[in-house]
Amino acid sequence: MANVPLNIDVLFVAALAPILGVVAFWFLQMFFIEIQKRMLSRLRHRHEAFCRFTNYIGILFQTICQALGYTVTRSGIAAFQVTVNYGKVEPKKEKKGVFEWVARSFLLFGPFFIPAGLVLLVSYFIIGKGFVFPTLVQYTFVESLTGFWVSLSTFAIDFAGFLINIDLLNPLHVGFLFVLLFFGLGIRPSYIGQERKEKIDILHDLRHIKDHLVEKPLYILAIILILYVFYVLSLFLKPVLYVGLFTILGWMSLTAVIAILLTFPVLFLIKATDEIRPHWKLIPFVTLAVSYVLARVFFIYFPTKQVEPVSLLVMLLSTILMTILLIKYKRTNRFKTATKMKHVRVADGKKRTPKK
Amino acid sequence: MVKKELLKNEQVERVLSPHPLSFMKLQALCIFVIVWGIVVWWLTKFSEYASMFSGNNWYPLILWGLVLLLIGVVASLVAIQWTIFFLYLFVFAGAVGLIFWQHWENDIPLFIFIYSIAVSIIGFLIVELYRRSHKYIITNLRIIFKGGIFTKRERTIRYDKIADIDAKQGVLGQIFGFGTIIPVSESGFGLGSDKTMAAGGVEVGTKKARLFGFAGGGKEVQTPIARSYYELHGVYPYKDVKQLVETLVQSHVPTQYQKEQIEFEKQQVDIQTQMRDLLHKQVNEKPRRKAGRQPNEEEEPEDEEVDEEKVTKKKTVVPEETFQPEQVDIQQQMKELLKKQKTARVTQPEEEVEEEETEEAEKDEEEEKEGK
Repeated sequence: MANVPLNIDVLFVAALAPILGVVAFWFLQMFFIEIQKRMLSRLRHRHEAFCRFTNYIGILFQTICQALGYTVTRSGIAAFQVTVNYGKVEPKKEKKGVFEWVARSFLLFGPFFIPAGLVLLVSYFIIGKGFVFPTLVQYTFVESLTGFWVSLSTFAIDFAGFLINIDLLNPLHVGFLFVLLFFGLGIRPSYIGQERKEKIDILHDLRHIKDHLVEKPLYILAIILILYVFYVLSLFLKPVLYVGLFTILGWMSLTAVIAILLTFPVLFLIKATDEIRPHWKLIPFVTLAVSYVLARVFFIYFPTKQVEPVSLLVMLLSTILMTILLIKYKRTNRFKTATKMKHVRVADGKKRTPKK
Repeated sequence: MVKKELLKNEQVERVLSPHPLSFMKLQALCIFVIVWGIVVWWLTKFSEYASMFSGNNWYPLILWGLVLLLIGVVASLVAIQWTIFFLYLFVFAGAVGLIFWQHWENDIPLFIFIYSIAVSIIGFLIVELYRRSHKYIITNLRIIFKGGIFTKRERTIRYDKIADIDAKQGVLGQIFGFGTIIPVSESGFGLGSDKTMAAGGVEVGTKKARLFGFAGGGKEVQTPIARSYYELHGVYPYKDVKQLVETLVQSHVPTQYQKEQIEFEKQQVDIQTQMRDLLHKQVNEKPRRKAGRQPNEEEEPEDEEVDEEKVTKKKTVVPEETFQPEQVDIQQQMKELLKKQKTARVTQPEEEVEEEETEEAEKDEEEEKEGK
């Protein structure tokens, strides 16, 4: 049993520290999700299929979370359907009260944490370091918050270190990068609609969450009470348990933020290549792969210590340079229509007429 | 499409071919070969586990081949298509044959890497060639399916023969906007059944211990399934094409009301044809009758039916005894036909009957007014 000083800070205020930390990172996650959604909605008119793909991933995760909610509450799953436009999960038994509330919580909070949790699990096996829980001495609010921050910063530094030193000729690393990008495009609870009115922003998500929480204040009180009991118990048994629980949630949010941030260069590249003429726009993507392989081959004959990061740098710089040059010299026709014109082939197979 | 191939009054609505990603199942086989080849090369040459494969030159080939065949079996069972397994077996056998032939035993991992890429590229080209061999022509009368690389296959289906339309859109289809439409004909064209079997035996020791594995199976269920050249496979834009086909089918298939109408019209035409024949017969025999004919309009008809007929056909009120027996027979037949026509009218759709009734009522009123 730990030797705990009994004062207000330790008994009450310190319990709030990791919660505040998680909420802060969760808001950060939502902020980056919002930026990503805005970028995607701007790309939609030219990259319909890409946006449908990201929608599909988002809806898939959301539907899985909802199904998980029904499974946890033992409601059972009667129907499960995921399409590009919507997901549908029907419970076998319509449960009311706390079960309904828990199932709905899975739907609202799940998309933020469950996919991120899966990425965290994969990164544990691939990166294998940075997963350090805080060691507390005084159990105060400040120390809890500092411990939480140290754990997350250690994790972030190691994660960033892995990304800088990533070996793109290693299938495991490439696979992990694809997992990050795949999840990064779908860690969001809402949908990018075809029309402006359908675009759902962060406030919409938050409003839903607020309504859900305000709807049953008693349940919130019960959760707070359970958490507090858990805090007090862990305080006297093993304080790291309580902070550790929230640290894992913090890691999830951080993983989600990193995954979302990684998608930004991809979205930028797609957006930038839209400025380049057709066929030429493929060159930046080819440069991305070829420059890295060439750099790696170069360093086989001229060995250096930092082969992977330097190759990565060469890859990024050459791609950026190539894109800028192409935008400058092979810029696309500026008189293009804002929306993509679709055509249909008419009977004789030669003429083309605008689609009705 | 050559205009000669078109029928009379036939117009081409759309000429389609499958979307480049619609044969992803076949392309995925090539992708797997290429990815697995790269992984084996990396695993046996550069990974931290490379030392495990240094004992024997053949280890990388055994690993590569075993996984390839295992995936082949699993994919064949899942897709219910044993071609996948035999394809992978052929790829593996080709690799072994090449190694023995060219004596490349010393650097098998590198050979696997290059061979996988080469085989996959050939595979992609064959799939693309296969895709391009497909052509679907939607005309205003029928759908023409054409396909096949070496053996050219062609089949047409008329819209009035389509009993049902099965449409499916996978995840890739939903993302890229393509899908498959199977027109199921009344004769069952477009329907199929799934069944697969697998068996294997392992002998442990020399005497009694034996294991025999048996896997696979499947229910004999009729599902909409067809070869890619007998269905509108992966057509783009899916929604538009589906709507077009449905509209064309709808315009060629009569509804219940239309069927009744056609049946009724058929009956009417039959009756009128028979009546015309009878009238012809009657007219041809008139000269013989003329002498014996004594028109008497005041005479009462035999029954009420004849009274009604009098309004429409006054020729029939002539007393029977003044005619030849053949004439009487003709008149009798005409009576029956008129009766038949009357009963057929009763069964015709209500709206039409109502309309006719109102028309008749109006006529009666007019006649009454004129009479007054």
